[in-house]
Amino acid sequence: MGQTVSPETRSTRTRAPRKPKKSQLPIALLVTVLIIGFGFFLDQAHDKMVVYLLFGISFGVILQRSRFCFTASLRDPCITGSTSVTRAVLIAFSLATIGFTAIKYPAFLEGKPIPGMDNVGQISFALIIGAVLFGIGMVIAGGCASGTLMRVGEGFTMQMLSLVFFVIGSLWGSHDMGWWRANVIKDAPTVFLPDVFGWLGALVVQFLIILLLYIAAVKWQEKKMGSAD
Amino acid sequence: MAEFTLDCMGEACPVPLMRTEKKMTELNVGDVLVVAIDHSCAMKNVPEWARKQGHHVEIEEVDDGEWEVIIEKVK
Repeated sequence: MGQTVSPETRSTRTRAPRKPKKSQLPIALLVTVLIIGFGFFLDQAHDKMVVYLLFGISFGVILQRSRFCFTASLRDPCITGSTSVTRAVLIAFSLATIGFTAIKYPAFLEGKPIPGMDNVGQISFALIIGAVLFGIGMVIAGGCASGTLMRVGEGFTMQMLSLVFFVIGSLWGSHDMGWWRANVIKDAPTVFLPDVFGWLGALVVQFLIILLLYIAAVKWQEKKMGSAD
Repeated sequence: MAEFTLDCMGEACPVPLMRTEKKMTELNVGDVLVVAIDHSCAMKNVPEWARKQGHHVEIEEVDDGEWEVIIEKVK
């Protein structure tokens, strides 16, 4: 136990020589050309489609390269105590808050309908139950929605199965959502923070919550793993 | 200085991480564990966990999308 091994020490295991890997560069070039070609094709149908394509491709590349995983952000603190992904998600939340405010506030000032208000949902017990079910599902399936899509793109076979049921579940959910809204959660309150605290107050409250969660994440990892790195 | 292998092919995270965590408690100091992984997310969190525990970690991409994480138990 007492002896320390320098990090340069390597295990003296011998391994079979690997067969050289095939270069994937030609495939990458071909896919790039196909995407550009598809962009021109979409442009003829609708001018906004190219923007969607560009955002989709960029989102996928960033997600794949950064290994950003919403599931891990909530799961890792429980199983290993590591909160590095959790903190990354909290930073992403604060950036998104600034972005959403930049989109919504000018519309509010001009008296126009605020974009994205359809996505402000009702708060109810159904939401809590649904969130718990989704949480169980995403840990078993090995990824949330974006993570599953990204890893299907990487060719991970098991999650192609997840994707099939993810599509079935989403379709079923949107099919029945109207019924839930009309019958079960019709009296549930819908909270949009700027209506409650004002625009500046909502920002302060939101950033305060994110900051407190960030501090909690640092403390949690220090307690569980002994360091905050 | 025994060497152990853990086959986590086809298993999505967090399964490889939890199995590695469990297996590492059975090892003695100086032993080496080779974890075979083909899940890109586990390829990140298994080495990250092992490094935070203070073990020596090497990652080798043995084929496209297949990795071997070599962990030497230090403490």
